[in-house]
Amino acid sequence: MSEVQRKKYSEQEKSKIFDQEFMPNIDSMYNFAYRLTFDEDDAKDLVQDTYLKAFRFINSFEQGTNAKAWLFRILKNSFINDYRKKSKQPAKIDYQEVETYYNSDDVDYTSTTDLRVDAVKDMLGDEISNALNSLAVDFRTVIILCDLEGFTYEEMAKILDIPIGTVRSRLHRARNLLKDKLRSYASTMGYGNDEEEGS
Amino acid sequence: MDDNSTPSGDRKLSCSDVSKCFQLLESILDGENLPNSKEMLNEKLAKCEPCFKHFHLEQAIRDVLKTKCTKQAVPSELEASIREIIQDRK
Ligand SMILES: [Zn+2]
Repeated sequence: MSEVQRKKYSEQEKSKIFDQEFMPNIDSMYNFAYRLTFDEDDAKDLVQDTYLKAFRFINSFEQGTNAKAWLFRILKNSFINDYRKKSKQPAKIDYQEVETYYNSDDVDYTSTTDLRVDAVKDMLGDEISNALNSLAVDFRTVIILCDLEGFTYEEMAKILDIPIGTVRSRLHRARNLLKDKLRSYASTMGYGNDEEEGS
Repeated sequence: MDDNSTPSGDRKLSCSDVSKCFQLLESILDGENLPNSKEMLNEKLAKCEPCFKHFHLEQAIRDVLKTKCTKQAVPSELEASIREIIQDRK
């Protein structure tokens, strides 16, 4: 942090914020961490790190603002800065790379999928989770933030430090990739044969 | 929402501006509050088959993600160990 932190909260206030605004998010935080790392111990470390940082920098948290978004941003940054460096998991695509790969916010909306709504509705939880987990981390992240955690585009832009237009286009691409995965599951389940509709 | 999922003969089969329409539909599904979004949505769904299909598929995908993704239980000792470290550092 560049600025010297003002001492704005008393010890009592700090504990209160920590207990009432930070801790209730531990479930979401842990699941986010797990979906980033796919490892229980790494997820625990990441969440623990995040809470320790949150407490250390609690004076830069504005009461009345969205604590969950604030915590998610710290977690995401910890993941990029600390965890990914020591990760044994080969980084598939990195945040920077994605941005240069697709340096435009223009998205092709014309590509259509023949995925059927009832095929999607019949998917098992494991299939949905596997499809999500198979996406590169940047695409996975926007879907987690938007669909699983319910953040708005504006909150996502702050968490990820990217413009809203990029949030929107990245989400669109992420969902298209997800649809491709789901379609391949659907075809193994016998959906999507063009003949014999509904037989 | 009513399940009027039978394709209606009144809908046109090609969309006049897919990019704009789909972006709008996706923003609405993502809970972005746009002016007149309700009216625009109803209009698209009533009059445009590609929009109708896209909306329902996108909606189904969001639904299964929200309801079916497997969740991990937070390890029971995690919260206590965080509090302990903070306590020690005070
Ligand atoms: Zn349309």
